[in-house]
Amino acid sequence: MDMLNDLITIQHFPLAELEVGHHLYWQIGSLKLHGQVFLTSWFVIAALVTISVLATRNVQMVPSGVQNLMEYALEFIRDLAKGQIGEKDYRPWVPFIGTLFLFIFVSNWGGALIPWKLVALPEGELAAPTSDINTTVALALLTSLAYFYAGFSKKGLGYFGNYVQPVAFMLPFKIIEDFTKPLSLSFRLFGNILADELVVGVLVLLVPLFVPLPVMALGLFTSAIQALIFATLAAAYIGEAMEEHGEEHE
Amino acid sequence: MIHWTVLLAAEAAASEGGGGLFDLDATLPLMAIQFLLLMVALNAVFYKPLGKSIDDRDNYIRTTQAEAKERLEQTKRLTQQYETELASTRRQSQAVIAEAQAAAQKIAAERVAQAQQEAQAQREQVQVELDQQKAEALASLEQQVGALSQQILDKLLEAKA
Repeated sequence: MDMLNDLITIQHFPLAELEVGHHLYWQIGSLKLHGQVFLTSWFVIAALVTISVLATRNVQMVPSGVQNLMEYALEFIRDLAKGQIGEKDYRPWVPFIGTLFLFIFVSNWGGALIPWKLVALPEGELAAPTSDINTTVALALLTSLAYFYAGFSKKGLGYFGNYVQPVAFMLPFKIIEDFTKPLSLSFRLFGNILADELVVGVLVLLVPLFVPLPVMALGLFTSAIQALIFATLAAAYIGEAMEEHGEEHE
Repeated sequence: MIHWTVLLAAEAAASEGGGGLFDLDATLPLMAIQFLLLMVALNAVFYKPLGKSIDDRDNYIRTTQAEAKERLEQTKRLTQQYETELASTRRQSQAVIAEAQAAAQKIAAERVAQAQQEAQAQREQVQVELDQQKAEALASLEQQVGALSQQILDKLLEAKA
């Protein structure tokens, strides 16, 4: 507790302040919303839509500038989806996986690169939308729905056959997996991004100059990796749900 | 809740009911809907047009490459054809040259032989003429010898007498 008291005395340091678990609440009817998450997510969405419109406004046979960049991004997403889902079925899932990747990536980097804290809110502070558990749980649940949808649309009720593959003994584990998948997806992303922001915040609080820079760079790396991991895992789950099991195994 | 210490904040917030790290509320479904809307929007302005552009380019490159390959093949075939034609033509021309040379040589040999024959004939003719003239000359010379010796004899006799 001594250390905690020490820390509390530093809290009056004028340069920076750190808030965790504070939200800017918006009340709509009986619903409570986290306003700061929506504000930054709208920014992210606007950025994504704007750059997409810029890239496709005048599509050229020989790409240049923004079109080139976005084509690179699309090829990257396609390769990712193709690698996890397979050549035959990946195309309908490119928008879902791509949007997951782009949204998380731009959110993370936006949270790390844009000085959101300069905008003062009545309560809470602006940060990456992915550092709020609601966002990550929403994305993870969507991923769960997506892979259930993929499995059922591909195999119908035969999808339940996946639960007893390769042996019936696997049934309880496969059922548990359906719960752990969204849980691990959401907490991994949430934890990494929030932890990164907190580490940077604490370091900025303690030493406001230069010292946080390596951690910030590391945070950029982590952010990109987390976006890639989320998208890759989502694609892998979808691919797994659609995977064909040979008849001879039954 | 002004403590910024991570653990305390998390635990305290969770117990307080308002705020906190793990505060799940209507943000979650709205965020999901928002995400789906973003997906639809990006599908319209990003994935579809750019995907089409990439596929079109791939097709274009593939067809152009196939065409170019075909043309290259054709060119190679033509080259080979021309080369064989050239070789046969060269052989033909060499044969023609050889033939012509042989014919020319033959003609030259014939001409030379003819000329030599002619020369031989002329020479023989000239020889015959020469012999004849020589004989004539000798004959006339003999006559003159007879006359001259008569004259000499006459003169000598006159002088003696």
